[in-house]
Amino acid sequence: MNEIMAVWGQWLKPSAGLPTVQWSLLLALAAAAGHLVQRHMALPKVVGYSAVGAIAGVAGFTGAAWPLQGIGLFLLELAVSVVLFETGGRIALRWFRYNPMVLLQSVLEAVLTYAAVYFTLRWLEVRPSVADALALVAMASSPAVLSRIVTDLRATGPVTERAIVLSALGALYALTLVAARAGLMHREETDLFALLYPVAVVLGLSVVVGAALALFLRFALHFMSPNSENTSILLITSIAAGTTVASHFGGSAALAGLLAGLLLKQLNPRPWAWPRQLGTAASLLVMLSFVLVSVVAAQAEWNPAVAGIVLALVGARALAKLSGVLLANPGSGTTWRQALMTGWAMSPMSSLALLLVSQFASASFTLGPRIASIALPAILLMEVLGAVIATFVLHLARESSQPEPVSGAGPSGAQRA
Amino acid sequence: MLEPVLPDITPAGESPQAAPALEPFRASEPLTLGVELELQLVNTHDYDLAPYSDEMLRLMARFDLPGSVVPEMTSSMIEISTGVCHSTAHVLGELTQLRDALVRCADKLNIAVVGGGTHPFQQWHQQRIYDKPRFRELSELYGYLSKQFTIFGQHVHVGCPDADAALLMLHRMSRYIPHFIALSASSPYVQGQDTQFDSARLNSVFAFPMSGRAPFTLSWKEFEAFFSKTTRTGVVKSMKDFYWDIRPKPEYGTIEIRVFDTPLTIERAAALAGLVQSLAAWFLHEQPFVPAEDDYMVYTYNRFQACRFGLEAVYVDPVTGRHMPLRDHILETLRRLAPHAQRLGAAPSIQLLAEDAELGTNDARWLRQRQARERLLAEVVRQGSERFKGRR
Repeated sequence: MNEIMAVWGQWLKPSAGLPTVQWSLLLALAAAAGHLVQRHMALPKVVGYSAVGAIAGVAGFTGAAWPLQGIGLFLLELAVSVVLFETGGRIALRWFRYNPMVLLQSVLEAVLTYAAVYFTLRWLEVRPSVADALALVAMASSPAVLSRIVTDLRATGPVTERAIVLSALGALYALTLVAARAGLMHREETDLFALLYPVAVVLGLSVVVGAALALFLRFALHFMSPNSENTSILLITSIAAGTTVASHFGGSAALAGLLAGLLLKQLNPRPWAWPRQLGTAASLLVMLSFVLVSVVAAQAEWNPAVAGIVLALVGARALAKLSGVLLANPGSGTTWRQALMTGWAMSPMSSLALLLVSQFASASFTLGPRIASIALPAILLMEVLGAVIATFVLHLARESSQPEPVSGAGPSGAQRA
Repeated sequence: MLEPVLPDITPAGESPQAAPALEPFRASEPLTLGVELELQLVNTHDYDLAPYSDEMLRLMARFDLPGSVVPEMTSSMIEISTGVCHSTAHVLGELTQLRDALVRCADKLNIAVVGGGTHPFQQWHQQRIYDKPRFRELSELYGYLSKQFTIFGQHVHVGCPDADAALLMLHRMSRYIPHFIALSASSPYVQGQDTQFDSARLNSVFAFPMSGRAPFTLSWKEFEAFFSKTTRTGVVKSMKDFYWDIRPKPEYGTIEIRVFDTPLTIERAAALAGLVQSLAAWFLHEQPFVPAEDDYMVYTYNRFQACRFGLEAVYVDPVTGRHMPLRDHILETLRRLAPHAQRLGAAPSIQLLAEDAELGTNDARWLRQRQARERLLAEVVRQGSERFKGRR
C-alpha cells in the first residue's frame, strides 16, 4: 500500500493535496460498498462503509494516523457533534417528568455497564486505570450508527425512539465522565479544587458553547423555516464553528453539540424537520466518520489475548445494557420484549467511542496506547456487529418501514370477492 | 352501552352461496347518542404519524373508563367510543374522561394525540397495517386503498324507536349531510398539500365500493329484501360492507352518521352530536317533512359543495331547487332546532355551531390560518395536539 502511495505521490500533485484524492476515492468506494451490502446482502450500509475502512486500515492506508489530530480529529468531532445535536434535539425533558422510569433505565444501564466492564476487565487482570477508562467508553452507545440505521430503515416506534433517547443520555454521561477522567489522569494533587478545576473547565466551556449555539439557532429559527435549505446550511456551519471553538478552548465539542440540541428542543418547541433537509451533506460527514473509525480501529494490534479481552468487554457490556433497560422496564410503558430489543439496539459503538478513546490518548502517552489497544478492536467489532444487531432488532420489532409481504402476483379481485 | 365498534370496512363476501340474513333491528331508547372518534397518534419530534396503537391500548386498559378504546386499520390510529349517552353533556363528560386518559398515556409514551380528518403530511405508503388477521385480509383485498384509508372520522349513533322509524330518520337526516360536512370539516391538507377542499377525507371514502348514499326505502321489510338481494350476489355479507354516509345499525337500534371529520376538540365533537340529537328530536316530534327519492337528485352535488367549500358552499334545496348559501341554511336550521335543543340540554352546542356558521370558522379554517402563520405543517399538528388537550 505504501509503495502505491509513493508512486501516486510522484505521479500526481493535485492542488488540494494527495490525501484529498485518497480520501475522496476511499469515500467513493465506501459509498458503493454501502449500497451493495444493503441491496444484495440486506445488511446496513454502515457495514459496507466499515468494511472498506477496515480493509484500507489493515492494508496500511496512511490517511488517518492514531492518535487522531488535525483535520481528521476535527472531522470526527464535527460528525459526532452534528449527530449528537440532532439526537439531543429529539429529547423532550418533560418526558422524564411523565415517565421517570426512562431516566432510571438510562442511569441503570450506564452504571451497570461501567461496573460490569470494569470488573470483567479487572478479573482479566487489566490494570485499574485502563479498566476504568474502558468501562467509561463502553457506557456510550453509538447515536451515529443508530440514527443512520433508523434513517435507512425509516424506522419509527417505541423501541427506536427509546434506543435513540437512551443512547443520547449515555453519550451525555460518557462525555462528561471521560472529560473529567482524562483531565485527572496522572495528577498527584490531593487538593479538591485542583482536581476539579479541569473538569469544571471542560464542562463549563461545553455548556457555554452549547447554550450560545442553542440561543443563536433559536434566534435564526425565529425567522427561518426549518424546511429551508439555507437553515440546514446555517445549522451545520454554526455547529462547525461551535465545535472548533469548544475544542480550541479546551471544552468538549461533542458535549457542546449534544447540549445545544437538548437546549434548543426546550427553548423552541416547534418541530424540526432539519435532518431530512440536511440530507446528503450530513450523510457524507457521518459516512466519513464511519470510514475514519474503521481505518483507525483496524490499525490496532490483534492477538489472542486482545481478542479474549475484547470479547469479554463486548459480552459484559451487552449483558449490562440489557439488564439495565430490563430492570427499570416495569411502569415505563414498553413490554419486556420491547425492553429486550431496546437493550440490543444499543449495541453499536462507533465514532463517539473513538472520540472518547482519543481524549484518553491525548491525555496520557503511557495509558493512552493501552486503552486504545483494547478499545479500538472493540469499536471496530461493534461498529459492524452492533449495526447488524440493531438492524435485525428494528425489523423484529416491526418498526422498520418494509413493504408489506407480497406473495406472487397477489390476489385477483375475482378470487377475493 | 355500545359494544366496541369494529372498523368500518370488511372484506367482501366469500361466496355467492352464503347469503346471511340481516339481523333484526334491536330496540333502543329514542334520541340516545353514541359517539366514536378516530384519532391520530403522532410523535413529538417531527409530528408525523407514529405506530403506537398497541402501547396506547395497553396503557389505556389500566384506566376504568366509559365506552371503549379499540385499534383501527393502521397502527398510528386509535378509536374511542362513548357508551350510550342521553345528552350532549353526557357525551362530553365521557369524551373528557377518555381524552384525559389518552393524553396521560401519550405523555408517558412521549407521543401526542391529535384530531383532524387527515394527517396533513403523512405519506400513505409509510403506514403499517395493524397486525390483526382481519386488517391484513382487508389490506390484501384493497391494496393501497387500505393505507390511504389513514383518515379520521367521527361517527354519531342516534337511537331510533323502531326499524321503519330508523329508515325515515336516515333519509330525513340525508338532507343535512352538507351541514354536517361543513361544520366538521378538518381535512384540508393531504400528503403535505392544501387540497382546496375543506374535507378531503371524504374523497378517500368514495374510492371504496358501496360508498355514498343508502338505497331509498322507508320500510324495513323492503330494506331486508334489498339486503338479501345484495348478499345473494356475494358482494357483501354484512351491514359493515356498506360504507354509506348514513347507515342503519340494527344491532344497536340506531342510525350511524359517518360523514363527520374528526374535529380538533372533543367540545366540537360533542356539539356535533348535539346537532344530530336535536335534528332527530325535531324529526320525531314534528314530523316536518317526508323524504322522497327525488331528494337525492341534488345529494351528490350538495355533498361535493360542502366538502370543497365548507361553510362557503352553495346549498341546493332538494324540494324547491333554490340555490342559497349553505351557511344561511345552517343558521335557519339551527334556529328551527333551538326549542328541541333547549329541551335536550343541547342549546350550548347549537349556540357554538351557530357562531361558527356565522363567522365561517370551522376546523379546516383554523388549520389553514395556522399554516399561513407558521408555514410548517408539523407545527400546525403540534398546535393541534395542544388544542386536543384543551389547552389552547
